[in-house]
Amino acid sequence: MAAVRYACRDGWRLIVRHWGMSLLTVFTAMSVFFIIGASTLFVLNVRNIVSSLENQLTIQAYLKPKADIAAAEKAIKALPYVKETKAITKDMALERLRSRIGEQAKAVMLLGENPLPESIEIKVRKASEVAETARLLVAVPEVEDIVYAGRVAEKLTRVSGFVEKFSIVMLLVAIAASGVVLFNTIRISVYSRAEEIGVMMMVGATSTYVALPFVIQGFILGLAGALLASVMLCGTYYAAVTRLKDMLPFLPFIESTRLTGKLAFMLVCCGATVSLISSLMAVEKFIRKASRPL
Amino acid sequence: MDIKFSGVTKIFEPDIIALEDIYLQVDKGEFVYLVGETGSGKTTLMRCITREVVPTRGQISVGGNLLRKINRFDLALFRRDIGVVFQSFLLLPNLTAFENVAFVLEVMGLPPKEISERVSEVLKLVGIWRRRNLYPPQLSGGEQQRLAIARAIVNGPSLLIADEPTGNLDTHTADEIMQLILGINAAGTTVLMATHNQYLVDTYRHRVVEIHRGRVVRDEEQGRYELNGGC
Ligand SMILES: Nc1ncnc2c1ncn2[C@@H]1O[C@H](COP(=O)(O)OP(=O)(O)O)[C@@H](O)[C@H]1O
Ligand SMILES: [Mg+2]
Repeated sequence: MAAVRYACRDGWRLIVRHWGMSLLTVFTAMSVFFIIGASTLFVLNVRNIVSSLENQLTIQAYLKPKADIAAAEKAIKALPYVKETKAITKDMALERLRSRIGEQAKAVMLLGENPLPESIEIKVRKASEVAETARLLVAVPEVEDIVYAGRVAEKLTRVSGFVEKFSIVMLLVAIAASGVVLFNTIRISVYSRAEEIGVMMMVGATSTYVALPFVIQGFILGLAGALLASVMLCGTYYAAVTRLKDMLPFLPFIESTRLTGKLAFMLVCCGATVSLISSLMAVEKFIRKASRPL
Repeated sequence: MDIKFSGVTKIFEPDIIALEDIYLQVDKGEFVYLVGETGSGKTTLMRCITREVVPTRGQISVGGNLLRKINRFDLALFRRDIGVVFQSFLLLPNLTAFENVAFVLEVMGLPPKEISERVSEVLKLVGIWRRRNLYPPQLSGGEQQRLAIARAIVNGPSLLIADEPTGNLDTHTADEIMQLILGINAAGTTVLMATHNQYLVDTYRHRVVEIHRGRVVRDEEQGRYELNGGC
């Protein structure tokens, strides 16, 4: 199809002719899609962390000072859902602390007596049983306090719920913003060729033929923005995760290349769609006006 | 391509009556001069044929197309079969002479090789082949006029509409342009030409339609130029 070739040539010419504007448009689109991608990765990671925390089946029940650890363990064993228990004495607690933070644990001994409480470690079979077991544990007289991952998860869920809502709003705003910028760029291009379009239509150009170069122009700009954003996003994400893994080794960050690949693909599709729609809207509006007879 | 106007009236809002109750029949292959003083409605009549203007009342049919009903796509195809030389040329200043003509064939989706051949041929025909790489502002009035004609005829139209194609040209150049248009007509294209050039109308005798204040006041075979203005 020769017509398609002419349209591609003209679309490219438009980009080159308005190169400053083209750069600005690509840059804007890139920023927008980067923000979209980054917030998506953030939400996905928070979700991942939450679900891995939720899946931890251990509850730690701290005992009151001077409580009878053997009696407490026996009482707890009698509760439903409890699969396994393990008594942690003051010495064992200190040993654990030492293995985790090293010789600094000795500082604790400076206080004289070992201040760490005795505790019972409880395992249940299913994640869904954790909260219920925790409730039952509170009723055990020897138990002073309980800690389980689900509680942290609950708090994180609340935070991530907020982040998700916020980022969906951000996402819509960002997409709309990139759409508006693309729309304006194409509109300026269209007006810069208004005379040409008038003559084109007089000599029998179809609306599609008139619109195609502008749609191609918008498509290339939007796509370039989304592609650059994807590349930048993957680059910065892996750098950031490597850093974070050192700092927070116990948190499970997502490192799957399939996920980032999917995300990049999604961004590019999103960029293509937004740019197609906004440039079609810009040019269609003009064509309709220009082809209206007196 | 034949043209038929039946009771065509065009009123520009609010109250400019540009055309009033026009009945006009032009047969395939005919050559018709459209004469009348400035503001009489010649350009409006021609723009009705290209459907840049839609009549307030009445029907227009061109080559079997009812223009009131035609859709956007069919209109585009219809216009490919019409050549128009605009009163103000409407050449694109940022395209070369060659590109200005090639443009029309690109719109029709012809392959580059064929475009190149046909444009070369038509630029030679109108005598500006050597100016092909210049831009319209670099061309003389006569050359611009020839370029406008080249663009109008490059797609081999069945109907040529020329709105004062010799306006502002000296007699000699006007004569050459006229020879060109007569040649196109001789090859079978219907020609409708608006003009103020008395010399041409009286020298190359053809049908003359005179318009005065939006009405057809005279329609003669082998007519002369002198304007009656409704008498
Ligand atoms: N687009 C328009 N809007 C309003 N009035 C117009 C328009 N085009 C032409 N006219 C009016 O219609 C009348 C006929 O104009 P025109 O067809 O250009 O005459 P001619 O070509 O014979 O000089 C004039 O009075 C002119 O002012
Ligand atoms: Mg006129």
